[in-house]
Parts: sequence; structure tokens; C-alpha cells
Amino acid sequence: MTTAAAAPTPRRPLRDRLSALIYVVPGVGWLALFFAVPLVIVLIVSFGTKDATGHVSLAHPGLQNYLRAGRPEYVPAFLNSLRYAGITTILSILIGYPIAYWISRYGGRRKILLLILVMLPFWTSYLIRTYAWMIILRDNGVLNGILQSVGLISDPIPFLNTDFSVILGMTYGFLPFAILPLYVSIDRMDDNLVQAARDLYASGRQAFLHVTLPITMPGIVAAALLTFIPAIGDYVTPDLLGGAQTTTIAKVVQVVFQSGRDWPYGSALGFLLMVLTLVGTFAALRTLRRETLGGG
Amino acid sequence: MSTDHDGSSLDLERILVRYLAENRLTRRQLLRRISIVGATAAVAPIIAACATGGASAAPSISTPVPAAPSSSDAGAAAETASPTATPEPTPQPTPEGELYVYNWTQYIGDTTVKDFQDKYGIKVTYDFFDTADTQLTKIRSDGKGGGYDVTYPASTDIPGLVRDGVVAALDLSMISNAKNLGTEWANPGYDPNNAHSMPYMWWTTGFVWDPDKIKEDLTDWTALWDERYKGHMSMLDDVREVFAAAAFRLGLSPNTTSDTDLDAMLQLLEQQKPLLRTYTANDIADFTGGQVWLTHAWSGDWGQMLSDKPKTKYVIPESGAVRGSDTMVVLSGAQHPVAANLWIDFNLDAKVSAANTNVTYYMGPNAAALPLIDPTISGDPRINPASATLDKLVELLELGPDLDKYTQRWNALKA
Repeated sequence: MTTAAAAPTPRRPLRDRLSALIYVVPGVGWLALFFAVPLVIVLIVSFGTKDATGHVSLAHPGLQNYLRAGRPEYVPAFLNSLRYAGITTILSILIGYPIAYWISRYGGRRKILLLILVMLPFWTSYLIRTYAWMIILRDNGVLNGILQSVGLISDPIPFLNTDFSVILGMTYGFLPFAILPLYVSIDRMDDNLVQAARDLYASGRQAFLHVTLPITMPGIVAAALLTFIPAIGDYVTPDLLGGAQTTTIAKVVQVVFQSGRDWPYGSALGFLLMVLTLVGTFAALRTLRRETLGGG
Repeated sequence: MSTDHDGSSLDLERILVRYLAENRLTRRQLLRRISIVGATAAVAPIIAACATGGASAAPSISTPVPAAPSSSDAGAAAETASPTATPEPTPQPTPEGELYVYNWTQYIGDTTVKDFQDKYGIKVTYDFFDTADTQLTKIRSDGKGGGYDVTYPASTDIPGLVRDGVVAALDLSMISNAKNLGTEWANPGYDPNNAHSMPYMWWTTGFVWDPDKIKEDLTDWTALWDERYKGHMSMLDDVREVFAAAAFRLGLSPNTTSDTDLDAMLQLLEQQKPLLRTYTANDIADFTGGQVWLTHAWSGDWGQMLSDKPKTKYVIPESGAVRGSDTMVVLSGAQHPVAANLWIDFNLDAKVSAANTNVTYYMGPNAAALPLIDPTISGDPRINPASATLDKLVELLELGPDLDKYTQRWNALKA
């Protein structure tokens, strides 16, 4: 993260390094057991085939599932996923940044309370909150009811099962993931820097663009990652708030697993999606780092 | 399965589902309740149920109803040939204290679970699936039922489930109420002598529409391809049913495995997709929510829509339609097989079966229950068609490995 890390540090005594290792073991063990092992299983299954009854068979392992992963029918679903995740990420940052900024600068003694309010939705199951959105957005739902009663519209607007409802639901769901890292980076920023910029006759806008924004860029990057990565694989929101026209790649994987009962093929698709997400993320991170952090 | 807890939100969902089952609260009622009193208040009892371990200590709406079957008062309606209620069949094996049931939502009588619990003292854990695909994936995940004791597969799936050892043979000595079945159900082709499954409900698949929005009288599948209703139509999220609709439009068999036929069906469905609002696993909620005016539906779901929209119409399309039935099975990995067989026997009781039909609007195979069913249900030719109509309908057959031909195209269609 920081450029200081590049400077060589003096080697610590062996005993210190060993005892430090002990503290790492539980975390690494946890990750290995519950992340790496399942992932390896998915990888192994993805090389298999399914037999007539739908069971996974590893008798003839090969790349056949990966070779048929790039089917042209799946391209629209993949582009949908990218589009939803991209728009969700941008919206989350655009909405989240002012909120985080306001809490940090003007929250005062109530900062903690405000942060708890940001996280309050997590106290209820995401599924229930998504169903609540269905009640609000459906054709005879709350939103259409209000719009009709004030005479803005005569026929209900189809909100539910559209791109709009999917992006709304995802932005609603992932917004807290954007606000928290943004808050941290804004709160850590030294306010005197902005003050100094203003003293040097920078306008408020210039001070924000040339001081605040670059300094909080790590928070923006973290917010973007924390929003984009879960959003691209999100299944619940597009499934419940989406419709026939809003298929995402996660939905395709689900159909392969469930209707198709083809676990090897589904595993291959899921694994490919993960690799693509990781590669894309690292590529984006490198560019960003070179542009924003490396220069400083 | 009963001991797996993979995360707090999943736990909450499990508790929610359990709460809904124990209090006979459907997802639709929950939605309505949330919309009335707000999410927090509606969910409060669930959180309370969570605090008490999700047991049946949650607030119960209905007062205890004495167990339905008793030989005294059922006599009036019973047929002389087959008495509806028998003395309790005190089975030799002792039933276990628990039972795990896995069923569709809104697919059982309002008090059936509670009545069973009261009668036998067996605690029922009642879980839901929303599509047949979800159900089959789960019960096939470990090849023996995914931890459940009883589930409700379509009769079409029975031969495969028996062949793969997912379902166990029934203990027919415990299911004396099997005698209540109509003669045509005693020895079905998909499961000779009902050795592995008992019929539960049967239906036709057609479509429903809201006459307030669509004034004309619809008669055939072409309505679901009508540009005028673009954005307000849905098809069931069910691969075989959707392809069957296309097959009937093209005059093909819904059991075809010919690639040319299937390509033609897929092409027709791809023309339809841009007109659709959803491939729905919630046809009732989508329809009563107002966004869908015209939807592919099972006959009983239409009956349930009537309570919200009494003018709703249903038709068995004239160019052909699917008929089918669901069954009750004991899974091969069942930890509570005795209770499971008792549950199946209980649901074949004339009174219980009639109560199930009166709530779900699905007709059962239970001849003894017929006199006890609400005559507006059993007398409606759309729910209980004459056998002449039924004979013209098609049953979906198990296709074995050829099912892949459908699911591959289904993937392509939905992607």
C-alpha cells in the first residue's frame, strides 16, 4: 500500500520471526481449509464429466468443459454481469463518497452512531430486504401507488424485473461495502492539507480535485473492489429483482448446475469467472497504482 | 443437513422458512404483512422464533385442531366400499420423534403439519423449494435425499430416482390409507404398485390471465406470443413445461428427442423471450403483484390466485396441454423412515387429503376424499376436468440422458 514498504528493513532475529509465524497459523489454516480446499475441489470437478445420472465422473479428465465455456449464447449474460457490476460500483462510490465525507467531517460525536446506521441493514437477512424491494417496485406496489395517487402517472411503470430494479437492488445491497473503506480513508486524511491548499488560493473544487481526491484514492480503489467483485458474481439480486431479460453469468452457472445437473461444466464456468475477475482486478489495480500512487 | 450451519444469514433464512411452515404463513402472506406493518414488525416474530431456537414456541395463530382422522364423524361422507378413516394403524415399529419434509410452497393444507404433530407427537421440520430443479439438485446432491425424509417429486422423475437409489421402497404395511386411492392410481406406469411412491396431487398446465387487463377470451398458446402483452407475460421456470408449450404450438410431442424438433421449439421460444417479464418461480406473487397479466401456470396455482383476483381466468389450451402428478416418497437416506411412512399414510387419509385440496386447489388422487372437497373446486372443469378432456392431455415422460438436449437449449434460451 505505502511506498515506504519498498525500503529494505533490517532482518529480525529468527526467534521473533518464528513467533510471528504462530500468530499467522490460525488465519492461514482457516483460509486453507475453507477457501483453498473447496476451490481445489471445484477445480478438480471442472475437469470431470457427468455420467448419465448426473454424477461427477473423473474417469476421463480433460479440458472439455473449458473448451465449450466460450459459447456465444453466454456472451450477453456475461456482458450483463459486467454492466450491472460496473454501474453498481460507480453508483456506490458516487453515492457513498459524499455520505462517508459528511460522516467523517460533520459526524462529530455521533460518528459511531452514523456508521452503525450505515451497517444497520445487515441486521436483517438480505433475502428479506430484497423481497421488501419487490413490494416497493412491483406494478401495484408502493412506488407506483404513490406516483399514481399524486397523479404523476396513470399506468404503473414497470420497475420490477428490469435493468433498473437489478441495479437499484445491487447498489442498495453493496453501498455499505463502499461507504466503510471510503470513510476510513477520508477520516484518516489530515484536514490541514485541504486548509493549506485553500491558503494557497485553491478554490474548494480545486482543493478537492488536487488534494482530497488523490489522498483518498486508496479508499476509492478499495470501495470499488469490495463492490465490483461480489457484484459480478451476485445471484440473489438479479434472480429476485430481475426478469427474463436480465440474465447474468451467475444465473447461467445456476441453470447449468440445477436444470442441467452438470456440475463439472458449472464448476468450469464458475472457475473461469473467478479467474477473469481476478485478472481484471489486478490489471485495474496495477494501472491505478501506477497512475495515482506510484507517481507520489 | 440438519446440523449444517454455514452462516448466520443462511441460518436466518432457514429459521424464516421454518417459521413460515410452522405458522402456516405463506411467502405471499409474509410479503403482504411486510407491506402493511413494515419489515421490522413483520420479522419480529421470526427473530423471536430465532431466540427460542426456532422451535414451535413461535407465536401460533391457529388454535389446536384435534387430529383430523377419527372414525366417528367421517362416516357420513365416506363411501361404503372404502371407509375413509380406519382405526389408528398402531404400527409395529416405533416412530422417530422428528421428521424432515421437503415440499413446494403453498402445497399443503393449512393445519396438516400441526395436525400430524398433534396426533403422533412427531416434530415436523418443513422446508420449501421453489423449482423442481432446486428440489432434484438437493435430493441428488448426496444421492440419498440431502438429509430429508420425505419429498414430493413429479411422477415423471420417479423412475430415475428409483433407478439411482435416491428414494427408498415404501413400507406398504404402514400405509393402509393407500386403499383410498382411485383405481386409476393404484398401479401407475411410472411406479408399479406404488412400491416407491404414493400419488399426492395432479394438475394440468395451461395459462391464466387477468380479464381487467386483457379483455378477449384466450384459448390457445399463441396468446403467450402476442406482442400486445409484451412485458406483462411470464413462463414457468421449468424446462420441460416451457418446451412443452412450444411443442404444442408446433404440433409436436412434448416428449420429443429429435434435434430438429427441439431446434424448432427453441427458435419459437427465442422469439417469445423478448416479450416476457420473467421465467417465474413465483407465478402467484408475480400475477397478484400486478406486473404480469398473462402467465403460464399450473391449474392449482390459478385457484390460489383467485383469492386475490377473483376474476382471474384459466384455460387448458386447445392445441394441447400437459397433465401431470406429484408423488410423496421416502428418501433412501431418511433418518426417520417410520415417521416418513406415517406422514405419507396420514396425507392419504380422506379428510387430510380433502383439506389439502381445499387449500391448494389441486385435486388429489384420493377417491375417498372426493365427497369432502369443496364442490366449487371439485366441480370446476378447469381444476377437475372430465376424463374426456384429460385423455387428450399429454403426460411428460422421463427422457434419461436425452434430457440434456432440453437443458442445453434451456441454458441457451435463458442466457
